[in-house]
Amino acid sequence: MEHPEIVFDSVSVDFGGRTALRDVSVSLDQRRIGVIGSNGSGKSTFARMLNGLVLPSSGAVRVHGLDPARQSKLLRRRVGFIFSNPDVQIVMPTVAEDVAFSLRGRGFTAAEAGARVSAVLDRFGLTTHSEAPAHSLSGGQKQLLALCSILVGEPGLLVADEPTALLDAVNSRRIADHLLDELPQQLVLVTHDLRMAARCDVVLRFDAGRLVESGAPGDVVGRYEREHA
Amino acid sequence: MIALYRPGASAIHRAPAGPKVLVFIAITLAITLSAHSAWMLPAAAVLVVAGYLIAGLGLGELAAQVVALRWLIVVMLVTQLVFLPALVALANTGRVVVVIALAALVTLTTRVPALLDATERTLAPLRRFGVNPAGVGLLLAMTITTIPVIAGLAGSIREAQRARGVPVRATTFVVPLLVLSLKHSDDLADALAARGVE
Ligand SMILES: Nc1ncnc2c1ncn2[C@@H]1O[C@H](COP(=O)(O)OP(=O)(O)OP(=O)(O)O)[C@@H](O)[C@H]1O
Ligand SMILES: [Mg+2]
Repeated sequence: MEHPEIVFDSVSVDFGGRTALRDVSVSLDQRRIGVIGSNGSGKSTFARMLNGLVLPSSGAVRVHGLDPARQSKLLRRRVGFIFSNPDVQIVMPTVAEDVAFSLRGRGFTAAEAGARVSAVLDRFGLTTHSEAPAHSLSGGQKQLLALCSILVGEPGLLVADEPTALLDAVNSRRIADHLLDELPQQLVLVTHDLRMAARCDVVLRFDAGRLVESGAPGDVVGRYEREHA
Repeated sequence: MIALYRPGASAIHRAPAGPKVLVFIAITLAITLSAHSAWMLPAAAVLVVAGYLIAGLGLGELAAQVVALRWLIVVMLVTQLVFLPALVALANTGRVVVVIALAALVTLTTRVPALLDATERTLAPLRRFGVNPAGVGLLLAMTITTIPVIAGLAGSIREAQRARGVPVRATTFVVPLLVLSLKHSDDLADALAARGVE
């Protein structure tokens, strides 16, 4: 397969005596990687390790050849991260300003940056809102804005931690379609929506901090559904 | 208290952010350092009025900014009147109001990214004293951006409490707002780190 590798080698994470991940080893090069499991099973911890927001207590992580512990700056340019709550992802007052913020300090001229910003806003149908206050958008539009603000930096990997958790059915579907069908980037998608997980190329399932299964979505999702039926 | 940008084409809108911030700092210093001068405060007040008019914001906007400060004004006046002559207390309070109204004039007429750039550039020489110009600029920018969010949080807390019949009291309101605001700033810090801010 064509994507660079994400490698976890015997990774454990402790938060002050509480173990969030236990001895996770996996290596992934698929485009769409789904992550499922019940509340508190370690999904977000796994996702947050991919850009160094959480570092391993033991073991080693490599994301596209980079070590999150020592190369976090490089890594964060390569890895875009989408959170569930779009409100916390807005940094600048207006839509266009927020997208442009992602390009700060990357050596673009104002004209180049402006062109990139309008291109990405156009692609996600936000052009008419570009001058609007970001906080005046609807939840679904805010999440699209978050996606624009990340994609404008052209990351090689997109990590989305329950990106549709706060959205209605129509907006969830829109975000899901963008992430799963329209992007060229590698994607790690943490979700409780098993239909979204089923559309991935591989699915990991966590349980109580352990990676208990990884494989074809049909198998992993199917078994999870039967066990929890 | 910190106002959001209002688009406009006035000379004050078009003035570059850096000099605008410097002028603001200069006037603030002049007002605070000349506490004994009798004409400085009225002169500054005239300047503020002129600024709002030139920026096309009107006296209504200025009045709204001052009204937003009413509790601050009351608290300052009352505490000072205990120790100081009325005229001095009035002048001290007046200086603070003038400075805040001027600060609002800057944020009303300057886009946040421009303010961010200007702050970074202006503070750059202070880097060797351990000041992080990008950090200060971002703090300023995010404060302005986050105000509507915190206002929204406050609104939803009040709504939820009203729905459950919780009486209006400072403690029942401030504590959840503080908790939610801290949670918000925690999440914001993560999102910033994820967007490559050190
Ligand atoms: N910063 C932290 N400090 C302490 N404990 C934490 C921290 N982050 C996560 N944990 C703990 O680690 C475990 C795994 O949490 P994680 O957030 O990864 O679960 P999750 O699978 O994402 O759950 P959910 O589906 O509810 O989002 C939980 O027991 C959680 O309480
Ligand atoms: Mg989670």
